Amino acid sequence: MKNKLKIERAILDITQDELAKKIGVSRQTINSIEKNRYVPSTVLALKLSKIFQKPVNDFFELIEGE
Amino acid sequence: MTLKSVLDCERRSLEKMKKYQLPNRFKKIGFAILIISFISLFINKFFVNNLEFTLITKYGMLVGLLIASISKEKIEDELISNLRMQSYTFAFIAGVIITLTNPFFSYIVDFFIKAKESSSNEVGDWQILWLLLSIQVFYFEFLKRLHK
Repeated sequence: MKNKLKIERAILDITQDELAKKIGVSRQTINSIEKNRYVPSTVLALKLSKIFQKPVNDFFELIEGE
Repeated sequence: MTLKSVLDCERRSLEKMKKYQLPNRFKKIGFAILIISFISLFINKFFVNNLEFTLITKYGMLVGLLIASISKEKIEDELISNLRMQSYTFAFIAGVIITLTNPFFSYIVDFFIKAKESSSNEVGDWQILWLLLSIQVFYFEFLKRLHK
């Protein structure tokens, strides 16, 4: 799964730590998601969607074969 | 069913699973018990040699590892829960494989050093528990470092 978390974060001009605090996770979790090492749960994806004010599909995308 | 109730339901089920965990400060307490028991075990082995005290220190090590194993991180989020689950799975599989292959390696060692008396091939309950807990604790720390 690809994601545009870094881009969305840049649009809002917030750091990984600030985003992590907003959704109640650690900075490592945000970093792992950005580096595609961790696929977040639905709850976390919806929380991100609320912060970015965009549908989940706008920043999470399935790659072919998934 | 509203989105809020779905989220609440999911959160409640996750929280139920977390109830068995101890607060973060217990992690240091667990490691302290482990280190104190380990040092006591060595002191006892070389200076006192009391069998009952050896047993107490061995169980002290297990209690320390268990406390460290079930205590929460500072921020116990879903990534940490996921890594914890991975570490328990790895510890279980590694523990079973090591326990099963232990007699085979003991046999090879005995064969090459031509021991007159065969060393014990049996793995005790303490050794299995120690193996499982120590693999879990150290593999979990390793996974956490990988995700930094």
